[in-house]
Amino acid sequence: MSEPKRLLMIDDDPDFVAGIKAILVKAKYEVDVAYNSKDGLQALKSKAYDLLLLDVMMGRGAEGIMIARKLGKDPILRNLPVLIITGIREQMAFLFPGQAVHPHFVPVDELVEKPVEPRLLLDKVQALLKTAEARKAESK
Amino acid sequence: MLDSCTQVLAGAECQVKTASNGAQGLKLVEELQPDLVFLDLKMPGLSGFEVLGKIRGQHPLMAVIVITGYATVSSAIEAMKKGAFDFLPKPFTPEELRLITQRGLEHSRLVQQTVALRREKEMLRENFAAIVSHELKAPLGAIQQNLYALTDELAGQLTDDQTQRFARLRVRLDDLLKLIHSWLRIISVDVNKLKETFKPISVADALVKAVETVQTHASRKAIEIVPSVVEPLPRVIGDEGSLTEVLVNLLGNALKYSFPNSKIGVRAEAQGAQVLVSVTDTGVGIAKADLPFLFQDFVRGQAQPEGVTGCGLGLAISRRIIEVHGGTITVESEPGRGSTFTIHLPAVPASPESNPTPERKV
Repeated sequence: MSEPKRLLMIDDDPDFVAGIKAILVKAKYEVDVAYNSKDGLQALKSKAYDLLLLDVMMGRGAEGIMIARKLGKDPILRNLPVLIITGIREQMAFLFPGQAVHPHFVPVDELVEKPVEPRLLLDKVQALLKTAEARKAESK
Repeated sequence: MLDSCTQVLAGAECQVKTASNGAQGLKLVEELQPDLVFLDLKMPGLSGFEVLGKIRGQHPLMAVIVITGYATVSSAIEAMKKGAFDFLPKPFTPEELRLITQRGLEHSRLVQQTVALRREKEMLRENFAAIVSHELKAPLGAIQQNLYALTDELAGQLTDDQTQRFARLRVRLDDLLKLIHSWLRIISVDVNKLKETFKPISVADALVKAVETVQTHASRKAIEIVPSVVEPLPRVIGDEGSLTEVLVNLLGNALKYSFPNSKIGVRAEAQGAQVLVSVTDTGVGIAKADLPFLFQDFVRGQAQPEGVTGCGLGLAISRRIIEVHGGTITVESEPGRGSTFTIHLPAVPASPESNPTPERKV
């Protein structure tokens, strides 16, 4: 069996994180957690991850979006697939007037709404990892 | 002239700065953003009218009082037309100057207050959705997420009854999240947008759906909901989802304020050019004093039975939805006897074109 995939979750709600992490760990993923953007960015720099699970509204506002933008500018991290998990689908349009409800932050990303059912979560994670792998193989 | 006026006005309550021509004056206005400007109409260089026009252009809310040298009413009136707050004809006494200054400052203070309040109200409305969705939905989302996870983790270890109860918990939370979502939609979204998707709909359908939605709640309180539709019932132009929401609101209220083992009537009928839907309960009723405020935001009546919760938005939202439909919502109530809420909606005239699907389930 191949190495377990390593995921990082950045979300400031420890209870919510626990509910997501339990599902992912049960599905044999390795999950690291950061409860704020600073620790999250630090973790991304210090370790290689296969996928990032990202909250939008953290700390003083839409900090998740700042993280996503930073990733987009980073030559390596821009290829990291991102699953945005947010409770504020309707607010996305509010935060980004004129943009689609699902704005593409980084080339490989997806969005699900909080709370997310286990099946849907695992499907999305799997699909993103698969796409990312295919891209990697292509560029080689 | 400038000096004597300064002498009259300067003191603890106001600071006076002077300029001896229009250009200087405008510069001062930009620097100080004063509460009140006195402006002589007859000046060397820029005319008083030009200065007035520039101030109004830059600061439309700034109070400007013109001093008319000629004491001609016509130039004073022209200045007022151009937005001056008031005028002071020369010569004037210190008392007159003080009085008009007081009035001008008062006006300026009120204008500033109004602007601040309006801005605050606008911000509150705009941000309400953002704040509520995060503060309310985040904890509920976290609870639901853990229920999902626990259901998954405990699969195979729970009894059927426990599994059932987990399922109920998830359904209840889901309902709550949906409710918050739909309320947010109404508060933050312009209700008028509903009009864009209006089409002829059957009130009876909305009624059936609304009754289904609250049925569990009613059964638990042993309250019987008795629907009746008087045929033929013309269609109305509207949005079925939001009309259902209104009926769910009304039925929800009726349930909330009804006594166990009572009945709630829901009746839809045509009356003249209108379709009337009424929800009647035999509950606690509403005090006469509360009736005028019932459909305003965040208002709840005085008679609150033990354990009843709510934020008082339901009726306000309902009223808005009904008004967008060109209808009205009225209430009759007697404390201790119960209440009847009636929705009046304009009916679609019965013709084959406007009634393309005559079959209707009730």
